[in-house]
Amino acid sequence: MATTTATLTLSSDMLSSPISISASSTLMKAGITEGLELIEMGRGTISEADASKTAEFGLGTALGVDKAAKLFLVNKATDPTYYIDVDIHDTNIGRLYAGDWMFIPWGINDVASEIVIEAEPAGATCPYEFALFQEPQTLVDHS
Amino acid sequence: MATLTPTLTLTSTDATADQLSFSVTDSLSVTAPHIGLAKIAATTTGANNIIQPATDGQTYYVYVHHTGVDASGSTVTTTLNIELTGDVIIGKLAAGEFMFMPVGGHSLGVQLQASSGTVVAEYAYFTKA
Repeated sequence: MATTTATLTLSSDMLSSPISISASSTLMKAGITEGLELIEMGRGTISEADASKTAEFGLGTALGVDKAAKLFLVNKATDPTYYIDVDIHDTNIGRLYAGDWMFIPWGINDVASEIVIEAEPAGATCPYEFALFQEPQTLVDHS
Repeated sequence: MATLTPTLTLTSTDATADQLSFSVTDSLSVTAPHIGLAKIAATTTGANNIIQPATDGQTYYVYVHHTGVDASGSTVTTTLNIELTGDVIIGKLAAGEFMFMPVGGHSLGVQLQASSGTVVAEYAYFTKA
């Protein structure tokens, strides 16, 4: 069993007293105390101006329904005006500006839950890196 | 204008033959309004547990942590849905798990929904400057 630990700290000088938040958890399969053991990592570049405008990864399938998954995604662009729109299927959930990252649970609730990323605005080119932690899916027989 | 510094570390000694050790940080310019740190006993109706207002072109940096207890303080193993308002599911947190993400580029808020009973969550959000 794999044990992968994620730790997050948030600190800010927004208030007169410093803000400090910390959380840590082990990435587990859904409903059981076994760790996520399938790790998919990758990097790429998407450009607003060409056919590589969008990228999809971690495709949701019926086999993945109700399984646990965690997604880390970072926009490695250096131009602060370049951002990556992040969608689940056709619903925009947020945007990552240059250097920003996210760590979220990904709900593979149906086959229309793929992660889609898109470089914006016009002329933007965004290198990105991702890591997807998920459960192995039991494949059906080939027909 | 203030700065929010998030740092994420992912480590494992046995997920792969080679050890996994990864850390990333960022320096985010943030401004009011912000909420942090707050607590909510989320119920099974997401619309009753909106933790971040609808965006109006701005981006919010949102943190949510499933505390592993319900409203009475009893330990729970039920999951907590992270949703955009309108019941758009992003994902679900198990007990003890957390998430951090920028929400924006649309006109939706963020709501929490327990899979059953109640789940106490801690949350914070900061507005991108």
